[in-house]
Amino acid sequence: MALAVEALEVRYGGIRAVRGVDIEVGDGEVVALLGANGAGKSSTLLAIAGAIRPYAGRVRLDGRDVTGSIPERMVRAGVAMVPETRDVFPDLTVEENLRLGAYVRRRDRADVEADRAAMFALFPRLAERAEQTAGTLSGGEQQMLVIARAMMSRPRLLLLDEPSLGLAPTIVEQIFAMIARLAATGLSILLVEQNVGKALAVADRAYVMRLGRIAAAGPARELAAAADLKEHYLGG
Amino acid sequence: MTAAIQFVIDVLSLGGAYALMALGLVIVYGILRLVNFAYGELIMAAGYTLYLVSASPLPWLVMAVLAVGAAVVTGIATDYVAFRPVRAKSVTAVLITSFAFSTLLQNAAQLLISPRPRSIPLPEVFSDTVTLFGVVTPARNLITIAAAAVLLSLFTLAMRRTVLGIAMRAAATHFTMARMLGVPANLVISTAFAISGLLAGTVALLWLGRIGTVVPRVGLEPLLIAFIATVIGGMRSLEGAVLGGFLLAFIDTALNYSLPQDLLKFRDAFTFSLVILILLWRPAGLVRGPATGQRT
Amino acid sequence: MSARDLLTLLLLAGSVALLAVAAEFLEVRLFVRIVTNLFIMLVLVLGLQVFMGNSGILSFAHVGFMGVGAYTTAVLTIPVRMKGMALPDLYPLVAGLELSPLAGILIGGLVAALVAAVIAYPLMRLSDAAAVITLFALLVVLHTIMLHWSAVTNGPRTLFGLPRATDLRLAAVAAALAVALALLFKESRIGLLLRSSRDDEVAAAALGARVPVLRWQAFVLAAFMAGIGGALWAHFITSFSPKAFYLKESFVILAMLVIGGPGTVTGAVAGTYIVTLAFESLRALEAYLNRAQIFAEQVVGLTEVVLALAMIGVLVLRPGGLVATREIGTWLLRRKPDKGDPP
Repeated sequence: MALAVEALEVRYGGIRAVRGVDIEVGDGEVVALLGANGAGKSSTLLAIAGAIRPYAGRVRLDGRDVTGSIPERMVRAGVAMVPETRDVFPDLTVEENLRLGAYVRRRDRADVEADRAAMFALFPRLAERAEQTAGTLSGGEQQMLVIARAMMSRPRLLLLDEPSLGLAPTIVEQIFAMIARLAATGLSILLVEQNVGKALAVADRAYVMRLGRIAAAGPARELAAAADLKEHYLGG
Repeated sequence: MTAAIQFVIDVLSLGGAYALMALGLVIVYGILRLVNFAYGELIMAAGYTLYLVSASPLPWLVMAVLAVGAAVVTGIATDYVAFRPVRAKSVTAVLITSFAFSTLLQNAAQLLISPRPRSIPLPEVFSDTVTLFGVVTPARNLITIAAAAVLLSLFTLAMRRTVLGIAMRAAATHFTMARMLGVPANLVISTAFAISGLLAGTVALLWLGRIGTVVPRVGLEPLLIAFIATVIGGMRSLEGAVLGGFLLAFIDTALNYSLPQDLLKFRDAFTFSLVILILLWRPAGLVRGPATGQRT
Repeated sequence: MSARDLLTLLLLAGSVALLAVAAEFLEVRLFVRIVTNLFIMLVLVLGLQVFMGNSGILSFAHVGFMGVGAYTTAVLTIPVRMKGMALPDLYPLVAGLELSPLAGILIGGLVAALVAAVIAYPLMRLSDAAAVITLFALLVVLHTIMLHWSAVTNGPRTLFGLPRATDLRLAAVAAALAVALALLFKESRIGLLLRSSRDDEVAAAALGARVPVLRWQAFVLAAFMAGIGGALWAHFITSFSPKAFYLKESFVILAMLVIGGPGTVTGAVAGTYIVTLAFESLRALEAYLNRAQIFAEQVVGLTEVVLALAMIGVLVLRPGGLVATREIGTWLLRRKPDKGDPP
C-alpha cells in the first residue's frame, strides 16, 4: 500500500514535535525512519495511526485523504500500529490478545483461525504460552506478541515503533529476522529504529529525522555507506 | 446451627445485591475512570418505570423487563448527556456533570411524578417465606442469591468468551491501544453504560422489592454501598468489586448481629471511615486492577 | 498585591457594598433576606473556590464543614434557658455556656478548620477519583455524625433556639472579607504553587512544591470559610437539621462555583450572583404555580432541574465557567502596560 505523508505537523500544547515532514512508503516497501531521541519519530507514527491528531499536513493512503482519522478507522483502512511502549494487555492471555488483534475481521472466523495458526508458526514461543497472561511474558516475547497481534488485522501497512528497544542482542536478531520475513510477504513497513545498522539492513529506503524535520533521505544502502550519518544526524 | 445458616443466607443475599451494585459502578469506572454519581438514578429509573406500568395488565415479568430496559436506557443517556460531551476535558468536569445529571434525574422525578413514595408492583413470591434447613427466610433473599449467581456467571462468561467482552477488558487497561487494534471507542463506552444499567435495573427489582416503594432519593443508598464495595474490592478490578460487595455484606451483617443499637446508628460513619483508610493505604483499592491505564 | 488584584478586590467588594446599600435603602424584607442569604452563600462559594479553584480537586466535604460551623455556634450560643429544651442531653461542660453570636461564629470557623486540619492531612496526597471518593466519604461520615450525635445536634430533628444575629451588614462584611481572603490566597505563593500543581502535578513537585502540604493549607482555609459561612447561616435561619448540610446544598454551592468559573474569584462571585438570581426567580415561579394550583401535584424540583441543565451546559460549552482565567481587574487593565507586576 502506498502511504504519503505531506507537511505533517504535530504539536503538544506549544511544543512543535513534528515540523513539516514528508514521507512516502510504496507498495511492499520497507522504509526506516531514523533519528535521535526526541526527533519526532514516534509522534509521526502516532499521527499516521490516528492516535494523535496532526496540527497540520496530510496523510494519504493510496491517494485517499485519511488525515486525522480515528485509530479504529485506520485499522480498517489496513494500517496497523505497534507502539514502542509494547502495550500488551497484561491481564489477557496471549490467545485473547491475538483474538483482539483480529477485532476488525472477527466475523471471518475461519480466516482468523488460520492466521492465528500462521502467527503461532512464525512465533513458536507464543504458541507455547498461548494460555498464559501476557503480563507474564518476557520483553522479547511481548514484542513478538504485539507484532503478531498487529498482523492479525491483516494490515497492508505496518507501523513499527522501536521493536528492538531494551531487548537482548539475540532477541533483537530474531525480531529483525521476523521483520524480514514479514517484508518478504509483500507487506509495507514503516519502521522507526535507533538501531541504525539493523534498520538499514532490512529497509529499502530510509529517512533521518532531526528536531522534527527530515534531515536526510535516500536508499538504505547509500545511507548506510555514508560514514558520517551517525554523528551528523543521530546525535550519536 | 440455625443462627449460622441464617447468617450465611443474610450475607449471601445482601452480598449478592451489593456485588451487583458494585459491579455496575466499576464496569464504567474501570474503563472510563468515571465515578458515575448518577449510578443510583439508574435504580430510581427502573423503580419509577415499575410504578408507571403498574396499572397496566401486563404480567409482572414483562414489567420487570421494561424496568430493567429503562435503567439501560438511562445508563446510555448518562453517556450521551454527562460523559461524551466532556470526556476530553478533565476528570473533574466529568465528575461534576455526572453529579449534575444525578441531581437532574432526581428532581425530574420529583417534578414529573412526586416527591412522595410511590408503591411498585411486586410478585407474590417476594412476600413469601421459605423454610430452609430449619430456618425461616423470605423467599426474596433466595431469589436475590439466585439472581446474583446467574447474572455474575453470565457476566463472567461474556467478558471471557465474547470478542466484545475481551475488548472491554482490554480497554480497561489501555484504551488507546485497544482503539489502535480497531476496537471502536464509542461501542465500548456505550456497552459499559448499558451493562451498568442492566445490573442496576436488576438490583432495582431486588432492592426495591424489600420496601415496595420508590422515592426520588432511592438511589443514594445503593450508590454509597457501591462506593464502599468498590473501594474495598479495588476500583479497577471487576472481580474485586464482586468480592468487595460480599465483604461489605459480611461486615454489615456482622455489625448488625453484634453492635448495640446506639452504636449501630453510626455504622455508616464506621464503614466510610474504613473507605477513607483503605484509600489512604492503597489508593487503587484492595485488589489491584490491571496494571496501567489512561483515559480516552 | 498588584494593581490588577487591587482593582479586582475593589470591584468585587464594591459590588457587595453596593448590593448591601441597595437592600438597606429599599427596605423590602424579602429583598433584604435574599441579599443576606446571597452574602452567606458568597462566603461558602469562595471557600470552595479557595480549595477547588487552586487545587483542581472536587470537594464534597465542604458542606460538611459548613455543618460543623453551624452546630458549633449553636452549641455555644443557644441561650442557657433554651438549651434544656433544644438540647436536653448536652454535656454539662458546654450546657452552661452562652457566648455572643460573633464569638460563636468565629469559633465555628476555627473548629471547622481544626477538624479539617486533623482529618485532611493524610488525604491530600490522593488525586483524581481516589481524592473525590474520600472527600465524598468524609461528607457521609460528617453527615452520619450530625445525624446521630443527638446530645450535640438533636439528631435528625430540627435544632432550634439560635439567636438571630446575622443581619445584612454582618453578612456583607463577611462576604467582603471572604473576597479579600480568596484573592490573597490565590495570589500568595501557596496559591501560585498550588495552581501550577493543578496543571501539572509532577512538574510542580519537581520544582520542589510539596503538593499535599499546599493542598492541605488550602483545604484548611476552605474549611474555615465553610465553618464561618455555616455559622453565619445558622444565625440567619435560627433553626435547621443535618439534612441542610448534604448533597442538595453541595449541589447549589457547586453549581454557583462551576457556572461562574472555579478558577477565578471573579467567577465565584459572578456565579453566586447569577445562580442566586436564577434560584430565587425559579423558586418564586414554583411558589406561584403551587399557589395557583395549576397542577394537581406540588411543583418541586423545577429549580434544581434548570440549574443542573445550566451546569452541564456550561461544562460542555465553557468548561472553565463564565469567568475562566482572568480576574475582572486583569481583564479591565489588559490593554495597558503592566508595570511593577510580580511575575
